[in-house]
Amino acid sequence: MARTPEKFRESGVDVRIRTRVDEIDVKSARVRLNDGSELAFDILVLGTGTLAIRPEIPGTDLPGVFALKKLEEALAIKAYIAEKDCRNAVIVGAGFIAMEMCEALRARGIETTVVHRGALPVNRWDPEFGKLIVAEMGKNGVTFLANVETRAIEEGAGQRLRLVTSGGDLDADLVILAVGVRPDTALAKAAGVPLGRSGAVAVDFSQRTAMEGIYAVGDCCESYHRVSRSWVHVPLGDIANKQGRVAGANIGGKAMIFPGIVGAQSFKVFGLEVAAAGIGEREAAAAGYHPVSVLIWGNAIAPSMPAAKKVGIKLVADRASGKLLGAQALGEAGAVGRINALACALWAGLGVDEIGYLDFAYAPPFSPAWDPIHVAAQTLRRKL
Amino acid sequence: MAKSVVIVGGGAGGASVAAEARRGDPELAIAMIEQERFVSAAA
Repeated sequence: MARTPEKFRESGVDVRIRTRVDEIDVKSARVRLNDGSELAFDILVLGTGTLAIRPEIPGTDLPGVFALKKLEEALAIKAYIAEKDCRNAVIVGAGFIAMEMCEALRARGIETTVVHRGALPVNRWDPEFGKLIVAEMGKNGVTFLANVETRAIEEGAGQRLRLVTSGGDLDADLVILAVGVRPDTALAKAAGVPLGRSGAVAVDFSQRTAMEGIYAVGDCCESYHRVSRSWVHVPLGDIANKQGRVAGANIGGKAMIFPGIVGAQSFKVFGLEVAAAGIGEREAAAAGYHPVSVLIWGNAIAPSMPAAKKVGIKLVADRASGKLLGAQALGEAGAVGRINALACALWAGLGVDEIGYLDFAYAPPFSPAWDPIHVAAQTLRRKL
Repeated sequence: MAKSVVIVGGGAGGASVAAEARRGDPELAIAMIEQERFVSAAA
């Protein structure tokens, strides 16, 4: 937590917590709060964030069923685990939040099962990486149930819950729903602020919406993706910080633009670093590119070093232009740093020929002389 | 009269707006409305 309400109040910001905006009246330029009071505005900023998606199944409102989104919910889960002495948990969904949750639950000694309707977790990543994540979960005592539809959550014996699935019933003390989030646009919609194709609030590069005097920032709005050249919804906190600062600068009188994103993202699951940037083959084809890809395994550091570990790198490039379109990496070490380097390449629009000879900070404890990025880029160049 | 800014939501985005707008213009009247107990949780 960067700042407390008190810190903000010291700088003269009227912070009201536990207070909800019920309505935006654009005509009178006022917001109505849930305590009945009203506030007039010259400039309004929508920073309404996302809502956790609750699957359309019975029982998601039972005690012991949580959707992890807000810090408050994380604290509620922690308190529930302690109070009910939870021994086992089921996570519904297998995105990166589900992966991070497995690790957090196992760290508390809780038996953990992940129920996923697809075949592999985190579908942004190549199946080869997905399989290694499943193996990593297994090594760390997490049961992964693939191709299983969750149909209902019921009250079980004692304080327990029963998950009814296409693969049979599962008993659990705790159920965590991690099937994704969607932008919270209820207020925007009611006020007539236009949404983009992604379903999030449409903004321009200055974070202004199409409605005079109304800005939007963070997880409720879209961002410009510099690789797919389209407006997308990527709800991540680092992007929200930047968009907030850009909107704040514009409101404070200093013109500023948000230059967009390349979709860089990472997570940790037990001993693995997993990261990606840019777009995958399917998005690339949809954006009008001709994607060609390669996946190679290399040494995260020089193979002569005692702590040598493997890192997998997948690159996607455009056949016509030779430009890099996307990158993924997975390894016990060296995955996130490499994706950060490749995120810069995506940002700058570098071609795989240039990436094959990029000047990196080489020394044996940190990388081989030919970095796996060089090897992947040169291999891909030969395929173009 | 100073311009008034109302920020709906005190998460990473909203809190960054408040801080940066204040830095740029000390005269602005800024209100930040947050449903939960915490502001700036991911900032």
